[in-house]
Amino acid sequence: MTTTLAIRPVLTLEQFARACDLHSEMILRLVALGLLDPARDVNGVLSFAPSQVLVVARVQRLRSGFALNYAAVGLVCDLLDRIDELERTLRYR
Amino acid sequence: MASPVDFYQALGVARNVTPSDLQAAYRKLARAYHPDVNKDPEAESRFKDISEAYDVLSNPETRRKYDAFGADFRRVPDGVDPETWARSNRGESNRPGDPRRSTHQSASQDFDFEDLFGGMFGGRQRSGRGQVLGANQEAEIVLTVEEAYHGGRKSLSFSGPGGPRTFDVNVPAGVTTGKKIRLAGQGAQGAGGGAPGDLFLIVRLAPHSRYRLDGNDITVQLPLTPWEAALGTTVAIDTPGGETKVRVKEGTSSGTRLRLKGRGMPSKRTGPGDLYAEVRIMLPKSLNDDERRLFEELAATSSFTARGTP
Repeated sequence: MTTTLAIRPVLTLEQFARACDLHSEMILRLVALGLLDPARDVNGVLSFAPSQVLVVARVQRLRSGFALNYAAVGLVCDLLDRIDELERTLRYR
Repeated sequence: MASPVDFYQALGVARNVTPSDLQAAYRKLARAYHPDVNKDPEAESRFKDISEAYDVLSNPETRRKYDAFGADFRRVPDGVDPETWARSNRGESNRPGDPRRSTHQSASQDFDFEDLFGGMFGGRQRSGRGQVLGANQEAEIVLTVEEAYHGGRKSLSFSGPGGPRTFDVNVPAGVTTGKKIRLAGQGAQGAGGGAPGDLFLIVRLAPHSRYRLDGNDITVQLPLTPWEAALGTTVAIDTPGGETKVRVKEGTSSGTRLRLKGRGMPSKRTGPGDLYAEVRIMLPKSLNDDERRLFEELAATSSFTARGTP
């Protein structure tokens, strides 16, 4: 799965929704909540980096594993990313 | 299917735990072992164990069954007396081919943990069709400077949901602390048919008695006698890539770093780092009479001052 995605540099909303196994409406909701950060062309058409599939999977895992709402998932993701960054900095010292 | 763990033990609670204490114990453990919080490859199976345990014990119906029948509880039809069940089990085997077994409820031995886990990850509050990729995992791999310099195979093993997993990892030559080695598809299992995540091995170089690393550059100390440093010499030194010779020019002071170009850690991207031999002028703890005389003579003769003009 990873290799197929790696060949394509960006995904359309429909391709991305299929890769995530979610409805495209759901993807738009995640975008509106600021959990996903797609690129937008001049006509407002969204395109997604394949790596964002991992972001969606993490959102789903955290939401169901902890019974969180999407706003809380956003906070948890931000905090986990910050911890990652701090741990990375520590490692290089 | 995971090895039969006692559900109360998995959650670290007593058998008479109240539902609220049970939930508290589960929530605490879930926060500690959730695959997105704890990237240790061994956390995954622990998380599955505690999730399975909580799933069973949080439901009064299944908890009652579990208390009565233990690990067998899923194979017991409703309304069976524990005594009868125990007696009938003692009298006969439970071979999978046993025809009696097939009359039991279908949720029996065919129970697949994926079903339960799939439920954990999106089943209850599913917003799509249910495939969720597995989380990436991270583990530290500690290498000696020599292992990292040469690269090669290294065997590692972790306990996983399906028993211990052993990896024969191909370590690329020249990895340094913080570099990640990706093992595609070896991370946490996905849910609902989703692909597994990746396992990242994060390299940490063990402290070495002689080599100090700074990025791809290696520093090694080069102890010299005062006369070697004064008159110049050629010294053999060990490097991770093998022995090499370093030329010390006459009049080399302590602390001078002699660069051996390209003798540091190999790197495909930036080219190899350099090796620095750092000069340390060493003296005997005590001088014999001859040495003392010669040093005194030198002190009287030389006009050199180490600290500039006073």
